Amino acid sequence: MSTDLLADRVRTAVATVDDPEYPGISIVDLGLLESLDTTPDGHVAVGLIPTFSGCPALSMIADDVRSAVDAVEGVATVDVRWLGAPVWRVDRITETARATMARDFTVAVRIGRGPVACPRCGSPTDEQSMFGPSRCRAVHTCPTCAEVVEVMRA
Amino acid sequence: MTGLGTAVREFLLAFADDEHLMGQQHTEWIGVAPFLEEDLAFSSIAQDELGHAAALYAIVAGDGDPVDDDLRIDELAFRPSPGDWRSAQLVEVAAGDWAHALVRHWLYDAAEQLRWEQVAQSSLAPLAEAAARAEREERYHRRHADGLLDVLLPVPDSGERLQTALADLLPLAVGLFDPVAGEVEAVANGVASAPFDTRLDEWTDRVRRRFDVDPSQIQPAPPTGRLERHPDFGPMLVRMREVMDLDPAAVW
Repeated sequence: MSTDLLADRVRTAVATVDDPEYPGISIVDLGLLESLDTTPDGHVAVGLIPTFSGCPALSMIADDVRSAVDAVEGVATVDVRWLGAPVWRVDRITETARATMARDFTVAVRIGRGPVACPRCGSPTDEQSMFGPSRCRAVHTCPTCAEVVEVMRA
Repeated sequence: MTGLGTAVREFLLAFADDEHLMGQQHTEWIGVAPFLEEDLAFSSIAQDELGHAAALYAIVAGDGDPVDDDLRIDELAFRPSPGDWRSAQLVEVAAGDWAHALVRHWLYDAAEQLRWEQVAQSSLAPLAEAAARAEREERYHRRHADGLLDVLLPVPDSGERLQTALADLLPLAVGLFDPVAGEVEAVANGVASAPFDTRLDEWTDRVRRRFDVDPSQIQPAPPTGRLERHPDFGPMLVRMREVMDLDPAAVW
């Protein structure tokens, strides 16, 4: 098998792994996949970056990636590791994932320093708490539609 | 880089132990903080500090390279003998009231910012990388502590409680800057840019501006080289090891 074909299949397999916090959103769409190397004889190395240092789901995600890649035809060995760099940023989240987060989770993604738009009605939200139900989410409210909005941030 | 050497290992352990115990102390407020947002804040901040500790322990356990092996990290993080710890007494002293928790949070994070700066250009790449990740997270910690102090310091009752906590904690907080074993070697090898006590004046200045205290009040506790544990440390270690001691062979 060509390494290009193998790499494509492995990438597809990694993309089937969802983030434990957001069922239905792939870790690839969240920007966790940083590197993927394959050799002609089927050795695969996957490099991931964590959203933040204290994330308790790291070994769970790595295990899921290992199993998914292991099942790919032509894969001999899999090495999955968490990389120290680069630092993950919210702008690594794809547009597709942002749309799903807004629709299914009422989660907005904070890009830059400007106001956050309510995923329901688009109005600027007010910050209520810098820290939320998980480490990477703040809690805002929307003054227009009264929705509680969780805001994903670095 | 392979083979840290005992000295650099000691240097990193002191930093890791501080981060670990600060995180453990913050967890004491989960569920009992004065209001819901503070439950969330203290649990998130604790999680960050524990994450930083894990990153530092991982560098030590991997002998220079980070290891992805929770068991080896736990072995370091839960050393059974108090004499093997290198933590500062500021993070060992038991939680008092919430004013005490808030003042310690501010004092520690003001020093922590400077401490990560000392290793931001480290010759030990995983350490420099950890510094970059940590600083992004620490900005929120400082904003959190400052936001509360802005509101609470000018109010008579809360202001007095905060100043009382400050008077108790300052002598221990200065101990964060005490030279630790291995620091000279760490600086010589470019692991850190300079001894941490070169930043003490800057930190003292920030304390003065924040709390409006006379710096002559800051009489440090006698330096121990981090070899003596605070009396509150023993019970804390027992609590931290409680689950592990139930079944030392358990695999998580």
